[in-house]
Amino acid sequence: MSLVAEAFVSQIAAAEPWPENATLYQQLKGEQILLSDNAASLAVQAFLQMCNLPIKVVCRANAEYMSPSGKVPFIHVGNQVVSELGPIVQFVKAKGHSLSDGLDEVQKAEMKAYMELVNNMLLTAELYLQWCDEATVGEVLEDVDQCCQALSQRLGTQPYFFNKQPTELDALVFGHLYTILTTQLTNDELSEKVKNYSNLLAFCRRIEQHYFEDRGKGSSSIRSS
Amino acid sequence: MGTVHARSLEPLPANGPDFGALGEEAEFVEVEPEAKQEILENKDVVVQHVHFDGLGRTKDDIIICEIGDVFKAKNLIEVMRKSHEAREKLLRLGIFRQVDVLIDTCQGDDALPNGLDVTFEVTELRRLTGSYNTMVGNNEGSMVLGLKLPNLLGRAEKVTFQFSYGTKETSYGLSFFKPQPGNFERNFSVNLYKVTGQFPWSSLRETDRGVSAEYSFPIWKTSHTVKWEGVWRELGCLSRTASFAVRKESGHSLKSSLSHAMVIDSRNSSILPRRGALLKVNQELAGYTGGDVSFIKEDFELQLNKQLVFDSVFSTSLWGGVLVPIGDKPSSIADRFYLGGPTSVRGFSMHSVGPQSEGDYLGGEAYWAGGLHLYTPLPFRPGQGGFGELFRTHFFLNAGNLCNLNYGEGPKAHIRKLAECIRWSYGAGIVLRLGNIARLELNYCVPMGVQKGDRTCDGVQFGAGIRFL
Repeated sequence: MSLVAEAFVSQIAAAEPWPENATLYQQLKGEQILLSDNAASLAVQAFLQMCNLPIKVVCRANAEYMSPSGKVPFIHVGNQVVSELGPIVQFVKAKGHSLSDGLDEVQKAEMKAYMELVNNMLLTAELYLQWCDEATVGEVLEDVDQCCQALSQRLGTQPYFFNKQPTELDALVFGHLYTILTTQLTNDELSEKVKNYSNLLAFCRRIEQHYFEDRGKGSSSIRSS
Repeated sequence: MGTVHARSLEPLPANGPDFGALGEEAEFVEVEPEAKQEILENKDVVVQHVHFDGLGRTKDDIIICEIGDVFKAKNLIEVMRKSHEAREKLLRLGIFRQVDVLIDTCQGDDALPNGLDVTFEVTELRRLTGSYNTMVGNNEGSMVLGLKLPNLLGRAEKVTFQFSYGTKETSYGLSFFKPQPGNFERNFSVNLYKVTGQFPWSSLRETDRGVSAEYSFPIWKTSHTVKWEGVWRELGCLSRTASFAVRKESGHSLKSSLSHAMVIDSRNSSILPRRGALLKVNQELAGYTGGDVSFIKEDFELQLNKQLVFDSVFSTSLWGGVLVPIGDKPSSIADRFYLGGPTSVRGFSMHSVGPQSEGDYLGGEAYWAGGLHLYTPLPFRPGQGGFGELFRTHFFLNAGNLCNLNYGEGPKAHIRKLAECIRWSYGAGIVLRLGNIARLELNYCVPMGVQKGDRTCDGVQFGAGIRFL
């Protein structure tokens, strides 16, 4: 969409409050959804839970064709349709809800950098695993290890990445790590790498308990090895 | 009737010219003017030989079937008539560019005094004909290439290929047609196609890739077609602002269906008929031969025409249909019926009647539409006998309704729903006939019974098409 159109849509979006019947669409669990799509969907769900916005999840076989950009997940709010985490964060911000308002410019830049790191490393690893699954997986695992190390260092002993308030970075990291830890794959090495970092495990469990189990969601939970 | 040459029945002098046997060109010799004038009508004749000149790849058996009747003629007028009918049948096969008939007295040792020879001089179509056009439409240009291979294997088989490459979409179609020798009305065809369509009234884009096989046969005066079709359908939104109801239908689906159609057509022409009636009934069952769409669909079309005084024609038509989904999946927007437009209930915008969501029309599972028309020649008959004959003035009354079926309520409730809130319109205009295939209309319409959500086009409406209500 052009800049003018986006600005216009934001104006319209800002005018209406968040409705009760907002829905998130993803592919069917179990037989259809892919590793990377599952991670993306969880990230969006976690983000919306953190913002305290009610969302209903609907699984449809044609979800990726319904999406205006071809990517899942997408949300249907009022009569707006927005897909992918980045635009959804913008959209929610236009409605007046934001998790990263409390951050200063430096921290915002840092957050963006970490989000890019997660997208480049973890997302690539997931895509590689779901499509290639070959023996030459060593490099991919190296990247994952580095990414987790960076995240673990940044997290340290804090409950969330930036102070005590969750931000979209927390949602994104949770989405990816949770998916890696809980999905049955033919190759367990990826989840083993993540499990090496105990503070990341604790982080995932904390978010799961706080935002998902509290509201009666979450069918699979993290098991420690 | 083509060229018919006939000579007197007096046998020629013994040293007259030889008439060519099969494969040679027949010579035509002038008769002396003092030959006796015979009254030919009641003279008994026997057709002894039928020759064919100009056959190349065409096989003999299909020719023999078409001209069998010529041998049964008993007098000269019958011979001429049967030869003419045989000529029409040969042209209908679609394998000859030209057919000329030559009727002559029989010569040779076994010639009877009243024996006749009929010679068909034919020119076969070339093995490959092609066409190339460019088309410019709504913000789109395309190149269309057509190839035709008539009479491929000698028994009137035909292969046609059409390919359209446009700035927005490409589509193609390949079809193979084979009639039964001797029985042209029984025929079989297989088609392979990819067709794309854009439907702005529903903000929908549809791409169909399909294969179909059909078999047609006549029973008494009716013509039946049985068809299996398998289509891979891809639906998508035409714009970012499509309604969510249409967005929900996006994606891929596979339809595999069996259908049967029956047509009885006694009209004298399919465009602006003067008399006769048409009845078409079509049923389609999808889902039992595979695919993920399951429904049973029934629709019919009825048209009656009667000529009145002063060269005017009164015509009534009635269309209707119902789509019943089988199982719990709802019907797809690509299978439902639509109503409204210059070829349907005039006065309403194209397919813009009935259930809709945010301005996108979703179609309905049951509909009916009817029309009453009076066609008269143009007032004061300008250009009579020539160009003016292609035009007609036209007074019409159209009505129709479209709704979705809701099974909790039962058939009585549906009939009631189709009978309330009827959309109708009346008006007048001019109709132009384009060959024998299409017609153009320019009408002034007054839409009535407009319901909330319908889009109308009151005032002048232009329409072009093949099938009009």
